[in-house]
Amino acid sequence: MKSPRAVGSRALIMAAVTGVLFLSSCAAPPPAPAQPPGAASWEQITSEAKGQTVKLWMYGGDTQGNAYVDEHLIPAAAKEGVTLERVPVADTKDALNRVLTEKQSGTTAGQVDLVWVNGDNFGTGKEAGAWACGWTSLLPNMSLTDPADPLLSEDFGTPVEGCEAPWSKAQFTIAYNSAAVPDPPKTLAGLLDWVKAHPGRFTYPAPPDFTGSVFTREVLYSVSGGYAKVRLAFDQGAFDRLTPALLTELQDLKPSLWREGSTYPKSSSELNALYAGGQVDFTMTYGPAELTKLVTEGTYPATTKVLTLEEGTVGNASFLAIPSTSGHRSAAMVVANLALSEEQQAQKADPAIWGQFPVLNPGALSPEGRALFDHLPSSPVVPGYEVLSKNANPELAAAWVPALDEAWRRHVLAGN
Amino acid sequence: MAVTLPPGLPREALRKDAARNGLTRSRAAGRILRTATAAALAVWFVLPLVPLGLWVFADRWSYPAPLPQHWGLENVDSALSRGAATGFAGSLALGLAVSALATPLGVLAARSLAFHPSRWSALFSALLFAPLALPAFVTVFGLNVLLVRLQVPSSAGVVLVLTAYALPYTTYVMRLAFGAHDLGFEEEACTLGATRGQVFLRVQLPLIAPALARAAFLAFLVGWSDYLVTVLIGGGSLVTVPLLVASAAAGTGNDGIVAVLSLIALAPPLALLLFAGMTGRRRPGARP
Repeated sequence: MKSPRAVGSRALIMAAVTGVLFLSSCAAPPPAPAQPPGAASWEQITSEAKGQTVKLWMYGGDTQGNAYVDEHLIPAAAKEGVTLERVPVADTKDALNRVLTEKQSGTTAGQVDLVWVNGDNFGTGKEAGAWACGWTSLLPNMSLTDPADPLLSEDFGTPVEGCEAPWSKAQFTIAYNSAAVPDPPKTLAGLLDWVKAHPGRFTYPAPPDFTGSVFTREVLYSVSGGYAKVRLAFDQGAFDRLTPALLTELQDLKPSLWREGSTYPKSSSELNALYAGGQVDFTMTYGPAELTKLVTEGTYPATTKVLTLEEGTVGNASFLAIPSTSGHRSAAMVVANLALSEEQQAQKADPAIWGQFPVLNPGALSPEGRALFDHLPSSPVVPGYEVLSKNANPELAAAWVPALDEAWRRHVLAGN
Repeated sequence: MAVTLPPGLPREALRKDAARNGLTRSRAAGRILRTATAAALAVWFVLPLVPLGLWVFADRWSYPAPLPQHWGLENVDSALSRGAATGFAGSLALGLAVSALATPLGVLAARSLAFHPSRWSALFSALLFAPLALPAFVTVFGLNVLLVRLQVPSSAGVVLVLTAYALPYTTYVMRLAFGAHDLGFEEEACTLGATRGQVFLRVQLPLIAPALARAAFLAFLVGWSDYLVTVLIGGGSLVTVPLLVASAAAGTGNDGIVAVLSLIALAPPLALLLFAGMTGRRRPGARP
């Protein structure tokens, strides 16, 4: 039961965040990202962390994610002498808003110690100096990741620069009901053809919803002849050259969509509800981990399968960031390091627990760690990361996202 | 808003008047119409709660089954293990605190607006109602910076801001009550030798009690149902039921947990409403 006041105001969040950023940039130029307390060794950090409480703010809509943190990460943190508390929010922007407020008021004992974040929330925060930076190299478990992994060094085109520690990888995934689609398409272009041949059985969430926005970028790659043809860094020339084909394609698609495209699901959870209710035959998610549970619990039909596209889909990583206003930085670092450990990453990757793809480099694992991952059960619905991330496409820079969303709103949503 | 009859006015007299005027026949038709409307309204309000009630005990309910395929307490279990109990305690404490602050303040404001009008009264009324006119998000964003800078503990900040949001409601309800309030009763009691304490306890309080209950209830609701202020100003120190509902409802496949949490969110206001309704109705006729 969201109070109407809250719902109404949530629409204002984007505007207000922008407003606050604007105001604060008028008041004083955003300072260089804060550095961690000077020259601390890992021993110093762990001893400082003992007895501290870390508030981890994370999107609370994923019950498996909540359960993983409550039942695995919190007890493990307690063994290191750190009290970990999970603060559930409906949207990661709520956490960012809180951090920006604390930043503006100059506090150093803030209420947010760790945030599960990526993409534009990270980029917006980094621009405003909301994150502590340069601390991830201190984490011993960072050696288990591949320093050359592009997914971990750039977050939607924003250089990570030690401002957040990797946590999970994800792959954009389209799922379908194999009972209704016996002969599934093999490319995104093939999917669009299927949609035109089967009017009313497909739709996508309206951008700027995160998932709907990813879908439009997938279509952009497809109509441009592959991701290699699209410059990842935003430039207006490329945008003007490439988007007409995308917008024409999406406009052509509109009459074949659910309810003839007269309306779109507002969020990915609305699309998921349509799919669960049998009104459409496809759904899409940037968190394929949830599919296993949704099928096992009967929310989704048992005939749900993952659509593997020949040209691949976009992939990303999500991170744990420490706000520059956190008063418990050492303890937050201990938790971030713990979350990167072989045991925690393996537990998190278990489809029965959460099923999130690990960020570790298989070549860097210890023999025991490798055994942990080898013994993980596989999901009956979701193929392994190796399969899903085959031909993985890189994400466009964050600056593309609002530009594409706005073009979609003007030409596809409002246009005829 | 129910009309509170002055305690001295005999209801029987009114009824006899109506009978003499020959209104009895059309009253029967009126009663049927009224009952039908009430029944339709009850269906209108209760119908959406039926699937909610079913979801609470549905361990598995997949499309297109009309009823849950497996019944059980899994949803209740997982809601409890995700902090429903602490959320309930948090919400209850917040609602009660806001009610305890905003009701007496509302009484004071309403009493002075009603009995001590000045040329500033309109200005004060406008100020009191300002929180309703301004978008909450804007106010909260600005205030939060101030509260953090002043190092106000975040829970106290939430109570303070929500009290400001509850004040228009309590003031409005009490202003109406004082509008129908005859100061003559108090004066008469004084003339008869009652002390100030006796006047307050035996004359004032019984007269405003129903309105007081309504005002306290509205103030409680403001604290009980808030999301935005709790999350932004509370900064995670206060996890209430609306926070849990909103975060669970943001995901897919959580219908059961959302149903459990929604019922938890619904129960106390409903209980209070029934209680306030009963006390509010009994009062005028409670004379021997």
